[in-house]
Amino acid sequence: MSSGTSTAPSATTGERKSFAFVPEGEDAVGLPQEFPEESEYDVVVVGAGPNGLIAAAYLARAGLRTAVVERRHEIGGGLATEETLFPRFYTNPHAVYHMMVDYMPPLRDLDLTQHGLTFVKPNAQLASVFSDGTSLVLCRQIEDAKDSIAKFSQKDARAFGHLLRSWHRAVDDVLAPGTYLPALAPMDMIEALERTEVGRELLRLTEMSPVDIVSEYFEDDRVRMLVLYAACMWGLHPEETGLGFLVPLLVERALNKAICYGGSHKLAGSLSREILRAGGTILDNSEVTRVIVEDGHVAGVECFDGRVLRAKAILSSLPPPQTFGKLVDSAHVPADLLQSAGKWEWDQWSFFTVSVATSEWPWYEADDPWVNDALMTVVGFDSTEQLLAHWRNVLAGDLGDELGGHATVETRYDPTLPRAPGHDVAFLQVHAPYDLAGGWESRRAELIDRVLEVWRRHAPSLTEDNIVSVHAETPVDIETRIASMVRGSIKHGAYDPLQMGVFRPHESCTAGRTPIEGLYLCGASAYPGGLVTGGPGYIAAGSVVEDLEAERWWEEPRSLVRYRETYLS
Amino acid sequence: MEEEHFDFVVVGGGHNGTTIAAYLSRCGHSVCVLEARPECGGGQENTEARPGFRIDPHATYLYGAAAPGFEQLELWRYGFRQVYYPSMAGLATLDGKAANLGGRFTPGLAEESLRAIGVEPAGGGEIFQTLGPAAIKELLRALFWTPPHPPDADVEPGDQPWWQVFRKHLGGVYSDRLTEMSYVDFLDETVPWEPMRAFAAFGAWYCGAHPAWDGMLLQSLGGTLLYSYSSGSPRGGIHTYAHSIIRAALAKGTRILTNAPVGEIIVRNGRAVGVRLDDDAAFPEKTIWADKAVISAVDVQRTFLDLVGRQHFDAGFAQRVSDISLKGGSLYVLSVICRELPRYHGREEWFPEEVYPSCVITPVDSMENFNAQTRDAYSFKRMPDKLTPEHLTMMVCTHDVYDPTRCPEGYHVLSPIYLECPPPEYDVTGPEGWNRRKDEVTKAALTLLGEVAPNMRGANIVEVFVNTPLDSEFRNAGMTGGNWYAARQDADQWASNRPLEELSRYRTPIENLYMCHQTMHPGGLCLMAVPYNLMHILIDDGLVEPGSWWYPSPWYMNDRGSVAGAAS
Ligand SMILES: Cc1cc2nc3c(=O)[nH]c(=O)nc-3n(C[C@H](O)[C@H](O)[C@H](O)COP(=O)(O)OP(=O)(O)OC[C@H]3O[C@@H](n4cnc5c(N)ncnc54)[C@H](O)[C@@H]3O)c2cc1C
Ligand SMILES: Cc1cc2nc3c(=O)[nH]c(=O)nc-3n(C[C@H](O)[C@H](O)[C@H](O)COP(=O)(O)OP(=O)(O)OC[C@H]3O[C@@H](n4cnc5c(N)ncnc54)[C@H](O)[C@@H]3O)c2cc1C
Repeated sequence: MSSGTSTAPSATTGERKSFAFVPEGEDAVGLPQEFPEESEYDVVVVGAGPNGLIAAAYLARAGLRTAVVERRHEIGGGLATEETLFPRFYTNPHAVYHMMVDYMPPLRDLDLTQHGLTFVKPNAQLASVFSDGTSLVLCRQIEDAKDSIAKFSQKDARAFGHLLRSWHRAVDDVLAPGTYLPALAPMDMIEALERTEVGRELLRLTEMSPVDIVSEYFEDDRVRMLVLYAACMWGLHPEETGLGFLVPLLVERALNKAICYGGSHKLAGSLSREILRAGGTILDNSEVTRVIVEDGHVAGVECFDGRVLRAKAILSSLPPPQTFGKLVDSAHVPADLLQSAGKWEWDQWSFFTVSVATSEWPWYEADDPWVNDALMTVVGFDSTEQLLAHWRNVLAGDLGDELGGHATVETRYDPTLPRAPGHDVAFLQVHAPYDLAGGWESRRAELIDRVLEVWRRHAPSLTEDNIVSVHAETPVDIETRIASMVRGSIKHGAYDPLQMGVFRPHESCTAGRTPIEGLYLCGASAYPGGLVTGGPGYIAAGSVVEDLEAERWWEEPRSLVRYRETYLS
Repeated sequence: MEEEHFDFVVVGGGHNGTTIAAYLSRCGHSVCVLEARPECGGGQENTEARPGFRIDPHATYLYGAAAPGFEQLELWRYGFRQVYYPSMAGLATLDGKAANLGGRFTPGLAEESLRAIGVEPAGGGEIFQTLGPAAIKELLRALFWTPPHPPDADVEPGDQPWWQVFRKHLGGVYSDRLTEMSYVDFLDETVPWEPMRAFAAFGAWYCGAHPAWDGMLLQSLGGTLLYSYSSGSPRGGIHTYAHSIIRAALAKGTRILTNAPVGEIIVRNGRAVGVRLDDDAAFPEKTIWADKAVISAVDVQRTFLDLVGRQHFDAGFAQRVSDISLKGGSLYVLSVICRELPRYHGREEWFPEEVYPSCVITPVDSMENFNAQTRDAYSFKRMPDKLTPEHLTMMVCTHDVYDPTRCPEGYHVLSPIYLECPPPEYDVTGPEGWNRRKDEVTKAALTLLGEVAPNMRGANIVEVFVNTPLDSEFRNAGMTGGNWYAARQDADQWASNRPLEELSRYRTPIENLYMCHQTMHPGGLCLMAVPYNLMHILIDDGLVEPGSWWYPSPWYMNDRGSVAGAAS
């Protein structure tokens, strides 16, 4: 018996891992050949989340020899469709709502529809049910949304119409194209936005908090509550100023969410097919532990098992504390960047998600049956004050009595999600702190009951008899599954004015480039930030192609060209 | 939307469907795979049911290390990595004995371990130890990686390829009697210690043909040889192996559509011309045409009775298809997350950590354990009212001792723990029979485990997941019987009889429709064998012309009865 042992500390989890036994010599004769211990590429992408995959797909098509290295057994990062309600029921444990499908360049540039990639975008988008049986249903078609708002306030209905049309223009002209172009420095940004009316309005909103913005436009508190929910559900602080320009994007896109038919993982699968067809390599079960730097330039990555993939350029989708603090030897990282990585602020809150498989789907008793068509239904809040109280609790590290969240019946618009016949799968997702008072392990059961109780109040079909299985994911679980989402940070880092725009993740890193030669950032911690936008991956791919003088085979969408002409020339 | 035309359309993206797609793409053809689920791989699946922990709901070990597919499809390029285990198996009895039976990398370990408990090692397995890996590989290739001879070929049992190889290497041991024996007959004659006999019988049952089936001695043994030859699991679980096959297929040009259940195989004038997807499939065009052939990589009963439809063949054929026996590989699968590995009878020294057996079959006190469970699954076809230990022998697997990617440090995952049971289709208490008694079975199984390994109790057990054969059928569309070989691998359904004589050469009564599923020879396990064998037939039918990377089985007999013989 022979044995070789390889050990390396894990960059993301800090654990030490090793393979206890490796056959050698005579023992190894005749065994199937394996992926080589050392291999060579032009580009290696660390992490196969949406951004890493998008970057890799562009680069592979540009003729660069590209490899994607992933820690998990499955690629996709936040794009997961798995049997979490084991056995028999699948869910999308992370990203469900795809908000940028109308704009994402990769969906046009890459040939993804041939892999069966389809999005479904229902009209009823965002609903809320209230304790008195009334409901509000915000639709993609604005007149439908106005009709629902008019039940509460005729004035708000009109305001909503005007606002959404103007915000739609802001998204179309500025916010969406800006997602796919490198960030501007604050002074340049102000100078650029001053040029147009849309821009000036965004500058005005920037100085307002989300609460101020909804209060300015709407009089009815329930309308305010739901719009505020849409504005802040991804982690914008409701009461702080400085990022108000994101409110139009988040609200307008909240009414244009799509689901990925066949599960969110299908987007990852389609991207991986493009990578492979273009000659790229995908390696899973391989946590990267080190970025190798030689003569001041990156030379490759090393995985926890000692495998080395050499490359001229490395794209990391991991957040700064991991990329600069662990993967790259700190000797190669400029002091200010290292220092800022050390002070990186993780997301202020995360999610607690309770998924259920049911023999009768959760439907709501409300005055408008359209509620039951809505892709997302907010339950638990009758007023802005209640919602703010919930968020304040979360920010203080607890979940108080005023608990609520957003629910989706996943099988409603995706009949292909595998499950036992005659059953449905749904979840209620609640904002939640990573450091929960009392700890997640001891409070998990209690909080599952609380969430179900709130949900059941509005969805009476959710009886104990109808629920055949329950599974909950805490912020700790998120981090355990996806090591880049430290402290359950679904965006790899807080949306704080000091971590946005050119500061995401640091001034010295623009367009995905870093001060370390050959090292790029392509994940949610880079500009423009988190969620399934594809922005960080797309921008980084552009820089790499330029730097390696590869073929830039894709054309910029017209909206980006227009944006450049209007604001950047 | 333009019409979708491919040379080959493959129904089902499980192990066999994706492998044949990779082969066909490597031959330069356009190929489309249609898979009902969101992910290909079929039975090659891993689930992170608890964050950070990988469990194996179906397949778990790599059995196919001797497959030509590894080199022919260049799986190493697409991330294939195997974790090898210094000890593959151990046994433990209820009355206080345990032995570590080691594996190919630890010669002498089994003997030492048996002597330590006062058992003189002796057994039929010994004759195979005289065979080196090269001879074992040759035997396995003859058994599994060779298409069955044409059913009308006049070949004596002893002249079948696998007996030819056996005679070549073990001429002194061979007699015609062997070809008629069951493995249990053989064990009775060769293995004196009863727990060892029971262990070997169970081992064969979990790895291949049921050991009581007559005339299947070599097939039963073959399963265990596949197991020990391959000696481990793919890195991170069996699904990574699926990934390497899927990625090989994609890189070579295969189009794979998931969430695309096929509702019909379109037959015109007796020829298969394409397929029709269900209306809710995730692809706009629902009719996909196959210019050369449709290959069904789903269960044979589903293929003919549901997808082709009875209107295309006679009642006799329909009856024979419905009668294909599902008995054999339906497994109740437990996964246990724990903090300590089982210490059998509290004695660590039996299984030290560096050579901890990756699977332990327990309890194996007597052949009655084996017989009782066989009767439950095949004769009474129900779970017994009283779950006494002889009804509950388990194969307890663990991989994380050797593969740290399976779970966080400080924990272990016993996954899978297999228990044989009847296919839900035959359960006299109804298909939900075992599901209704899940809690009871699980509790009884864990109580028993706690008796054999006293530390497997209380706080050591963190979480338990259960998957029944019926659950497998729901998860994996059409995994009929939740059965790991889909159709009984007995003499009536093996080689030129598998699953029926007229289907045994992978051709079907429908022109241009071929079968490529574990229902076909050589049956279950992810061996890349069914597709390799099918390739011979497709080449003969003039549908494909592989390049120089291809080599056929030296024992392959064409339709005219001639054997090309080995260059290799
Ligand atoms: C519960 C939840 C719900 C969400 N819902 C939505 C939603 O509805 N809509 C939406 O748009 N967004 C949603 N998000 C956010 C979205 O999923 C993320 O912002 C997005 O996935 C970020 O993409 P990324 O590619 O930058 O990084 P990730 O998706 O985090 O991918 C990074 C990848 O790197 C891998 N990795 C980590 N460490 C290493 C290492 N050392 N070596 C190699 N690989 C490594 C990870 O395993 C992962 O696969 C949700 C997130 C969560 C957790
Ligand atoms: C409990 C258990 C344990 C096992 N242990 C092992 C082991 O340790 N090692 C090993 O090698 N093997 C093991 N196996 C066996 C192995 O899983 C199977 O032999 C193998 O998966 C068979 O592959 P297949 O492609 O023939 O069928 P499957 O894997 O069943 O694939 C068929 C595919 O077709 C799809 N499909 C079905 N109907 C349709 C349709 N109408 N349209 C489109 N797609 C469809 C299914 O969703 C599935 O993906 C085990 C199996 C079980 C059940």
